[in-house]
Amino acid sequence: MSAGAEHEVIDHPILDPALAPPFPVAALPVLRNPQLRMNVAHAIDVIQAKRARLVAEKQDWQELRSAASRIKDEALENLGFYLEQFEARCTAAGGTVHWAADAADARKIILEILREEKADEVIKIKTMTSAEIQLNPYLEANGVRAYETDLAEIILQLGEGEPSHIVVPALHVNRSQVREIFARRMGIENLSDEPEALTAAARNYLRQKFLSVPTAISGANFLIAETGSVAVVESEGNGRMCLTLPRTMITLAGIEKVLPRFADLEVMLQLLARSATGERMNPYTSLWTGVTPGDGPQKFHVILLDNGRSSILARKTERQTLRCIRCAACMNACPVYRQTGGHAYGSVYPGPIGAILTPQLEQMRHAQSLPYASSLCGACFEVCPVKINIPEVLLELRARVTDQERKQVLRFFDPLYIGLRVANLIFSRARLFHLAQWAGQIGLGFFTRRDGWIHTLPGIGAKWTQTRDLRGLPKQTFHEWWAARRKESK
Amino acid sequence: MSAVADGRKLVLNCIRAATRSSSVAAEQVAGAYTVLAREYVSHGSMSAEARLERMAERLREYDAEVVECLPEELSAAIAAQLRSSGRHIFVAPPRLPAAWIAAGFEWRIDHNLPPGEIEKAEGVVTACFCGVAESGTIVVHHSAAEGRRVITLLPEWHLCVVRASQIVETLPEYFDRCKQPPALVTWISGPSATADIEMTRIKGVHGPRFLQVILVRDEC
Repeated sequence: MSAGAEHEVIDHPILDPALAPPFPVAALPVLRNPQLRMNVAHAIDVIQAKRARLVAEKQDWQELRSAASRIKDEALENLGFYLEQFEARCTAAGGTVHWAADAADARKIILEILREEKADEVIKIKTMTSAEIQLNPYLEANGVRAYETDLAEIILQLGEGEPSHIVVPALHVNRSQVREIFARRMGIENLSDEPEALTAAARNYLRQKFLSVPTAISGANFLIAETGSVAVVESEGNGRMCLTLPRTMITLAGIEKVLPRFADLEVMLQLLARSATGERMNPYTSLWTGVTPGDGPQKFHVILLDNGRSSILARKTERQTLRCIRCAACMNACPVYRQTGGHAYGSVYPGPIGAILTPQLEQMRHAQSLPYASSLCGACFEVCPVKINIPEVLLELRARVTDQERKQVLRFFDPLYIGLRVANLIFSRARLFHLAQWAGQIGLGFFTRRDGWIHTLPGIGAKWTQTRDLRGLPKQTFHEWWAARRKESK
Repeated sequence: MSAVADGRKLVLNCIRAATRSSSVAAEQVAGAYTVLAREYVSHGSMSAEARLERMAERLREYDAEVVECLPEELSAAIAAQLRSSGRHIFVAPPRLPAAWIAAGFEWRIDHNLPPGEIEKAEGVVTACFCGVAESGTIVVHHSAAEGRRVITLLPEWHLCVVRASQIVETLPEYFDRCKQPPALVTWISGPSATADIEMTRIKGVHGPRFLQVILVRDEC
């Protein structure tokens, strides 16, 4: 897999997998921006250190991981049963359950509810699924203004930026950049760049919206089949505002979010905050069941979103992708993410989980470069609280990408393909192999310096020597050395 | 009413095809669920005294302010907290014990107060369902003594009374105490916070900026 096609280096990130350039191309703007790399490295160093300390104090961490992966596997194995149970219990508690096969259906259902509510504004809790279905631009085009209420999401919405992380989406933006965005978009003169002042500005900016906008949209961290309840995990209280003050609540949840029972949260809540933000528990977790008379929204809709998930469910190795609880520990641990940040992944789901989730949600039609955006070091697997073997899935997806490429006529013009075919031929015939060694020694001899290294190669070989040196071929091959040794011993 | 006809059938068919299960009996699923191995720590081993200390320590790590008192001192302790807060207007849930409603302050009892009224209050006093010592978490089930969700959200100062007998050591112990799964739960761990700007932790974004906790030694 190579960045074969020519793509211009673009500065504005594209997070639509259908339009985004391949990973190696999309990574270039970040690799050339030292400020951005520093912002990313600083943020993930802080989270990683906090996480490591709290995981170390937890004596039963591995047992919790095992239990979580078993619970999730059970939920997935009987997903149809649990979703129907959730639907029945949620409906009995006064909620309305909708089913969306794909992003377009989900958008249509949400817009129809908003039209019924005569809503031209909506407040939102940070939700990955709504970013996945590109809800905000769709609502905008249909005359509904969506206000993000999570601090990081406000920074990105007002600054017209894109998220680069699933838990701290604006980790690539520093305080002076936030100050500039808030001062300009909120019209505040003399705004300081102290995080306290910036946070207070966001609080004031949103307060009236919370108290006046009657419709809210959320995602879900967990759906409980046993009770028909929904749980949302957050820090700031913007989630509680959206869940409590509006008249109408709309929750968009992936079908894989369902847990069999209420008590399963005893495992998930212990894992999630520690993995995500390095806290023993996040400030607020809310759970509600349909509608409660006199408390919170009196109309409640849940949209259960498939959008490619059932096709992941059908595949044995890949199914574990759906265990994900979106904690982002994998991206914080990933040496590739650390260098490139999130925008390079061309998806709202970056990092190792994005590298396996995005191409699958796209039914392998887009984002085929992502399974290669990994060194397979396994750090992501080690930190994953639900034990997703990400390297295993990456390899499986690489195999599927290769299968796709095998069907393309164009491959006959791909230097990598040609090179491997030639290598295949040479390595399977001893005579040809010796001949190639001889030719190589003569050919590469021209470029080998006195120190025994090749520093520059012309043509296609330059791709290697641009960033690293190549050791010249030794004077004596292994075969020659072996033969000489045997002769000596005789 | 849905804009998308038969989305339900479509999604469920795809799921059934993917899991090769056309229809499973509820008993079968329950059986598979019950045998799932759970080897993590479900019950702690701390004494009541140690649990209380741990709860206080973990709450303080979240920047919550914690005071301890004996059951007979509770009313006085609440009044002292209200006084030292420098605030005057407080919201109370409808079934807050009468002895907690200290004299000398303006009280708004929440019989469906509109959000605007709650917003004007300077603080709120509530009970809770449970405290989890390991993570310093206060669990609220929103009963009539704990209050509707909105009253512990809009005022910037929240005083919560937690009795030692309500404190468990681990999160699984809390779930054990729920005979029936509750319809509404809020798990509160410290005041509202964010670290979205350069990972600097800032207290008080949209929820209460100050969390005050009175731990009542009714068991130690």
